[in-house]
This record gives sequence, C-alpha cells and structure tokens, in this order.
Amino acid sequence: MLASILASGLAAGAVYALVGVTYNTMFSTSRVMSFTSGQLAMLGGVFGSMFMLKLGLPVIAGLVLTLCCCAIIGIVTEFVAVRPVLKNLDQHLYVLSTLALALMIQQVAAIKWGTEPQPFPKLIGWGNGVFDEKFWLPVAACIVTIIGLEYLYRRTLVGRAFLAIAEDNFAARALGLPERNLRIASYALAGVIGGIAGFSGGELLLAFFANGALLNFYGFVPVALGGLGNNRGAIIGGLALGLFQQAANFLVGGVFSSVAVFTLFIIVLLAAPQGLFGSATARRV
Amino acid sequence: MAVSRRDVLLGSAGAVGAATFSFPMPALAQTESIKIGCLAAITGPSSAPTIGFNRGVKFAVEAINGAGGVKGRQIEAVMRDTQGDPTKAVNATQELISQSKVHAIWGPLNSGESLAVTPIMARAKMPNLHPCVVESLIDPAKFPDAFRIAPSNNQWDDAVRNYCLKILKVKKIAVIGDTTGYGVTAVGASVAAFKKDGAEVVYQANIDATQPDMTPDMLRAKNAGTEVIVVWSVSTGMEARMFNTRAAMKWDVPFVGHPSMASGEIAGLVDNPDNWKKVYAIGYKSCSYDASGKLPPKSEDLVARLLKANIRLDDTLLWWIAGGIDAIEMVAKGVAESGSTDSDGIVKYWNTLSKYPGYFGDYTFSPTQHNGYPTEEIVMSESSTAKNGTFALAPGYS
Repeated sequence: MLASILASGLAAGAVYALVGVTYNTMFSTSRVMSFTSGQLAMLGGVFGSMFMLKLGLPVIAGLVLTLCCCAIIGIVTEFVAVRPVLKNLDQHLYVLSTLALALMIQQVAAIKWGTEPQPFPKLIGWGNGVFDEKFWLPVAACIVTIIGLEYLYRRTLVGRAFLAIAEDNFAARALGLPERNLRIASYALAGVIGGIAGFSGGELLLAFFANGALLNFYGFVPVALGGLGNNRGAIIGGLALGLFQQAANFLVGGVFSSVAVFTLFIIVLLAAPQGLFGSATARRV
Repeated sequence: MAVSRRDVLLGSAGAVGAATFSFPMPALAQTESIKIGCLAAITGPSSAPTIGFNRGVKFAVEAINGAGGVKGRQIEAVMRDTQGDPTKAVNATQELISQSKVHAIWGPLNSGESLAVTPIMARAKMPNLHPCVVESLIDPAKFPDAFRIAPSNNQWDDAVRNYCLKILKVKKIAVIGDTTGYGVTAVGASVAAFKKDGAEVVYQANIDATQPDMTPDMLRAKNAGTEVIVVWSVSTGMEARMFNTRAAMKWDVPFVGHPSMASGEIAGLVDNPDNWKKVYAIGYKSCSYDASGKLPPKSEDLVARLLKANIRLDDTLLWWIAGGIDAIEMVAKGVAESGSTDSDGIVKYWNTLSKYPGYFGDYTFSPTQHNGYPTEEIVMSESSTAKNGTFALAPGYS
C-alpha cells in the first residue's frame, strides 16, 4: 500500500507541480493568474495522443509538435485573454478573460477530440507495477523541468530578463528590456511547461478533455500553498498534495479524499495566507 | 344595370360565406406524407447513439416507402439536431409540433433532453416513442402519449442483479459508480435492491471518474471478500482503469454492469486485451450471438439486409439501429391500423400491443403500462466480443 501511495501520489503530484509552475511562469511577467494553465496540460495529453496514435508519429516528433502547439496556445492566451486586461489588473478582469478562454479550449477539445478518454501510448516501455513508467515519467519530467528552469533563470540572459521583469516591471522597462516580447516569451514557455505536464502524465491521466478543469484546480492548490510566484513552493506543494490525496484515497476513500484535500487547503490558507513558502509583500497605503 | 350598395353588400357577404365552407379534401388527406419528427443529437459529444439510431430510421423509411408506403402514403422523417442540449430539444420539439406539424415524434435519444420535452409533447397530445432510461419519463397518467421502447434503469438493475445472484451465484457484491448524479443514484438503487434480495453488499463506492489510480478502491473491495463487482458508470476511462488495476492485482473477480463497459473505446484504454476478459456488460438477446456465433434468426436476417444495403455495423451497436427501425415501423403500423394520422388513433393502437415483434425486442403496452421492453430480453454480454454491433452471450445462458 505504501509503495502504491508513493508511486501514484508522486506521479500525480509531479503533474500538479508542473501545472503550478505553469501558473507561476505566466504570473511572473504579467501579474495575471491565467486559468488556462490546466487546459495547457490537458492539451499536452490530447496533442500527444493525436500526433503519436492518430497520426502515427514517433515519440520525439510527437513531443516536439505537442510542445510547439502548447506554446502557440500559450501565446494566444497572452494576446486574447491577458493583454487586453493588463491596464485594469486591479479590477481582476483577467479572472473572467482567462476563464472564458479556458472554457473555450475545453469545449473545442470536447467537440473535436471527443468526450471520452482516449488512450495515450507507452512512451518508453520501462518498468511495471509501481515502477511503471506512467508513475515515474511525470516525476522525471518534473525534475528535468526544474533543472531546465534553474539553468534558464540563472545562466542565460533571457532568463535573467524574465527575473528582472518579474521583480520590477517598471524598472526593467526603464532599463530598456523589451517587456512585451518577454511576456509573450514567458507565455510560450508556460505553454511548453504545461505541455510537458500533460505529455508526461498522459499515460496516467489519459487524453481526456475533462482533465483541464481538474488540473486547473489541483494545479492552483500548490501555487496557493507554496506562495504565488514561488516555483520551489509550487513543486513542494504539488508533490505534497499528490501524496496527501493518494494517502486519503487509501484511508478514507475517493469522495472523502477530495474533502480532505479541500479541508487541508483551507486550513493552510487560514494559517498562512501568503502560502507556506511565500513572503508577505509590503503594500503602499 | 345599376348596382346598388345593397347588392354589393349581399354579394360580398355571399362570397365570404362561401369561402368559409371548406372544400372536401379526401384526395389530399390520403396522399399527404406521414411526418415523423426525429429529435436526435446528430452533432456534439453525445451523438454516437444517434448515428446508430438514424441508420435504422433511414433504413426503415426507405424500406417502407420502397414498398409503396403506408396505404399509399409516404413516410417523411423530419430530422432535427438537438446537439444533446435540452434547450435546443425544447425549441426543436415546439417547431416540430407547431410549424412542421408532424404526426408523431421519435426521440429524444437521451434522458436529459427527454425530461425537458416530454411535458411539451404531452400538452400537444403528440404520440411519442423514445429509448431513454430514466424512470420518471414514463407515466401513463401524466404523459399518456409517451412510450418507451428500450429498458428503463430499473430493468437494467434487475437484469444485472439476476445475473449475479442466479447465474453467477455469488453473494458478496461490491457496487461501484462514478460521482455523477447518475452514478450516485444508480449505486444507491442497486445496493438497496441487492440487500432486499438477500445479497451481502460488502463494498460500495462512488469514484471520481478522473481519479488516475483505482488501486485504493479495488484493494478495499478485495479485502472485503468481493465475489463480483457491479459497475454503474458511463466513464470508459474509469472502467478501463479498474480492469487494468484488477490485472495488476492478479485478481480474477468478474465485472458486471453498465453497457459502456462494452464500448469499443475500452480496447485502446486497457493495457492488455486480456484485461477486458470476465467483463459482462448489459446486452440484449436480440443482439447477442451464441457459442456458435449465431444471432437469433430474425436478427441474422436483419444484419444480412443491413449489410446488403451497405449500412455500417462495425462502428455502432445493432440495438441502436434495430430500435430506430422499430420506432418508424411502429408509427407506420399505428397509422395503418388506426386508418389515420390522428394522435388518438395511433396511441390507442400502441396501447393494445402485446408482444409486438420488433427487431430489438417484443414490445407490450397497455393503457397503464408504457414500458414496453421485456426485462427477460436483457442479458449480459461478453464485453470484448463486439462483432457487427453485437456481442457474445456471457457465460451461463443456454
């Protein structure tokens, strides 16, 4: 039982963590919580299944095309749902605009892809039982993504520019950084991370249009638990959420496990509104 | 000749009076087509059954019209796409009744839409046949013109319970459904009925259909001593995960339940084709083949005719096509026997039917019973044995 909790808990948690990082990547350059994050992960599974199973492409080609498509959807999000409302961030119109786009993506997926879950192919074929690749692949993808992001943010000029925009938008612009282009690039990057979440978790979650709404919520929980904009917090929060959820599944059953997750979520937010790893920011009054 | 004002008035009054007397139109009434409204989710996510039903409708209309129609009158299927949306179904129903002036309606083909439109059809006294499973859709007192030509939920439940208790002869049952309204209701009703029949329900659960790992519930069911798992869900993803988990646990407990367990999509979702063995989904005698691969003679004949007419069977279910044929033929028969397209005559005829020999089953109706499909026609099928939209009978049937 413990092995099963660890295997499926870490796998689901890694997917939640990656969706949390998707939220954060979009948030860092725009201060917008985009509710298309879960849909990007859903599309990662759907595009992956479509390219590999329906069109018969090899895994590498399927992965590259999936990530490209998700990056494009990320950019579309910036143009359609974020840019028009950036001037009125204080009115939180982005909640409506990104949610509306998320619903459109979900409905189009349902109509074009179908409402039944579709199979996702075996990517490598290594392992069985609790060591099946459907359990370790999302965890491996999560580790690779973290390493990649750390390299990007610490070792590359573009990554440092992202951090500068995230730290102080006005100051970065005053220094001549192309804020708009960097924001578009960060949305494309978020699309890629969401795509990786869905692609690596495809064998676990299947290619299913309804995964979008599920991942939107379960990806948001680690962001709230870990602190907005804090990737390390999102990773730890996501993995903890997956383990807690799976343990609750074993101990109290499916329906009640959701109640247990929500209860813990509310308790943590009451105790630490800024998240477990977030710091309270000073506000001008 | 001078024309006085009085003459003009008298003449006008005469003309108006003459115009109010209608000319007899016997010839028109006899040649007017018989309009059957079809409320069908032709597009949208729930269109799979409609595709099958519509093949049957088209086949029946062409067959009847090709043979000269009903006493010389052609049948016209007036198709409306509801897209699975109750609001669109309501609009389409009102249009069919008031604008297209259909003589009977077939459909809608799912319960959600039917719940919305059945009262509208009842107010218009519109003869209605449908295949929807929700119990409350059939109430001869409230909806005297609505007739069901497929099993209801309770009949499915009875058939599954009978198979478990009388054929598999098991006593320890696990009942699992999804967390939708249907899943919760069906599990509750199934558990109550099993207990009433003396079975021991050792485990019951409603599982979120998107839950990626079914091990917790399957493990609890196994530890409780389950001898059969009854499934009430339309989620093929959840069902496939349960089959895969059963295989991973090296457990050979049988699954019995909802027809969706025989959906072709499951073939792609199971890790191994063997994982889909010992899964028995609700099926029908008329659409099940025996150990020698033979369907009942009437169904064999139908399949041959359908294949000859180049109607695809491999991507749909035979009972959907058969149900569509039966619906059109029953309306045609109602008009033929009552001698007109009047609502009262058609409904009166349907109320007299006893073991009416349809392709899907033998229907029986009375003024107080509009559930026409016989429970004994419902059987369990081997889920993984689809062939031309039919399935092999599950073990235990002679």
